[in-house]
Amino acid sequence: MKKKLLFADDEPNLRILYKTEFESDGYEVEMAVDAGEVLEKVEKNTYDLIVLDIMMPGMNGIEAMEKILSKDKKQLVILNTAYTVYKDNFMTWAADAYIIKSSDLTELKEKVKELLGGN
Amino acid sequence: MLPTLTIIMAGGRGERLYPLTRDRAKPAVRFGGIYRIIDFTLSNCLNSGIRQIYLLTQYNSVSLERHLKLGWNFFNRELGEFIESIPPQYRTEDRWYAGTADSIFQNINLLEQMRPKRVLILSGDHIYKMDYQDLIAFHIETKAQVTVGAAEVPRHQASQMGVMEVDAKYRVKHFLEKPSDPPPMPGNSKVSLVSMGVYIFETEKLVRELILDSKANSEHDFGKNILPDMIARKENVYAYPFKDKNRKKAKYWRDIGSLDSYWETNMDLVSVNPEFNLYDAEWPTHTYQGQYPPAKTVFANEKEGRVGQVLDSLISGGCVVSGGRLERSILAPRVRINSYARVQESILMEDVNVGRYAKIRRAVIDKGVIIPAGFEIGYDQEEDAKKFSITPGGITVVPSGILLEKPSK
Repeated sequence: MKKKLLFADDEPNLRILYKTEFESDGYEVEMAVDAGEVLEKVEKNTYDLIVLDIMMPGMNGIEAMEKILSKDKKQLVILNTAYTVYKDNFMTWAADAYIIKSSDLTELKEKVKELLGGN
Repeated sequence: MLPTLTIIMAGGRGERLYPLTRDRAKPAVRFGGIYRIIDFTLSNCLNSGIRQIYLLTQYNSVSLERHLKLGWNFFNRELGEFIESIPPQYRTEDRWYAGTADSIFQNINLLEQMRPKRVLILSGDHIYKMDYQDLIAFHIETKAQVTVGAAEVPRHQASQMGVMEVDAKYRVKHFLEKPSDPPPMPGNSKVSLVSMGVYIFETEKLVRELILDSKANSEHDFGKNILPDMIARKENVYAYPFKDKNRKKAKYWRDIGSLDSYWETNMDLVSVNPEFNLYDAEWPTHTYQGQYPPAKTVFANEKEGRVGQVLDSLISGGCVVSGGRLERSILAPRVRINSYARVQESILMEDVNVGRYAKIRRAVIDKGVIIPAGFEIGYDQEEDAKKFSITPGGITVVPSGILLEKPSK
């Protein structure tokens, strides 16, 4: 069975990049444009891992993560952001990983693989 | 950076003190006539120079909130001092606190806003005198991640509590919840080190432990989960045998865990030389007291036996002992004892009125109860048990709001 990933990012080009790259690595990939869509999807489906951007219009990724974890404390979550400042923020420490965004997806891919125990 | 933020957990249901906790949180239960249980922890903070305090409330908080507003509103925000009560925020979770650790976990955002170096976590329902600065100094010196305040309790009593086994430097080797054979403390084989529910954590360590615990299937409790888990991982956990500011022969720390211990701890105060000293001007206990007239006794008609007598008792402002006799008892404000009534070894809360010729023995009578003339409490357990709850130790507890009728004989 393919592992199922959900990405949330308000940047359309990044959504395309994540979908293409992770699908070619053999994952099933879904996209959300903001935190609201993430929460809707999580209500209906289950995901092996959720990758959240922090700075999104409306609810940010940290708050979305808190809401997800309050429903399912075992849900794996990666915060994926261009900002380093949040790394020090206690509210982000519940994430399984904190990745600084880059067009080079090596680090993100390795972390996904590590958290899902290989794929 | 704020060196130490203090969080007092005052949200427990206090079921073991029911019916006194039916309408009020355990920290708001009266103690020693004029005090509330929370006053002792808050006074420890005040006397230790601790002025940044969050108080986590939950069940039945109205009476507690009112007491804080009336009695503890003198900290100055402009100087960075505060006592703020925080009810559950439902910020992310749709439920009340699942355990002591969960109550802090659900308020991690407060830690993020303040970013204190350390967090002092206290319980709002214990009676003791402790300078928390001594604990903090010990914690800094040992470079511990967390230091647990420890009371020295006779080993046979310790088997009902959280006991710590420590090495010679007081690093905790094991944390045992209600062990059948509690290990002794170093240098004294007769006593064990018992957790007082007083913890000082390095903030970052606390946050990491709370998050870890939040994802685990646990009771989310410091004593049952967080501390044993940290010790099992060989983290730097220390015990601090507390220095008792009560300055009596034996160290004094009481968890008012039952109605019997509530009664006994209060009765200690009326003894000639109480274990717990309320009269130490160097460690005052602060509270709120209304503006009541001085306590009064009237009638000195010894010929007719109509004498207002107060013996071995504590009586608060506004009380009138009018021709009745009070022995080894504690009266909260505005209690009235009428002629020929006799009250012994009892605790009467505010506005209780004891009618003429009534007899009360070994009882706790909650707020506002009117005892009819000639009524007896504590003399016939079988009869009492039909109307009131009676503790295993034989104390009759009369809840507030009850309507009592005169005996029909």
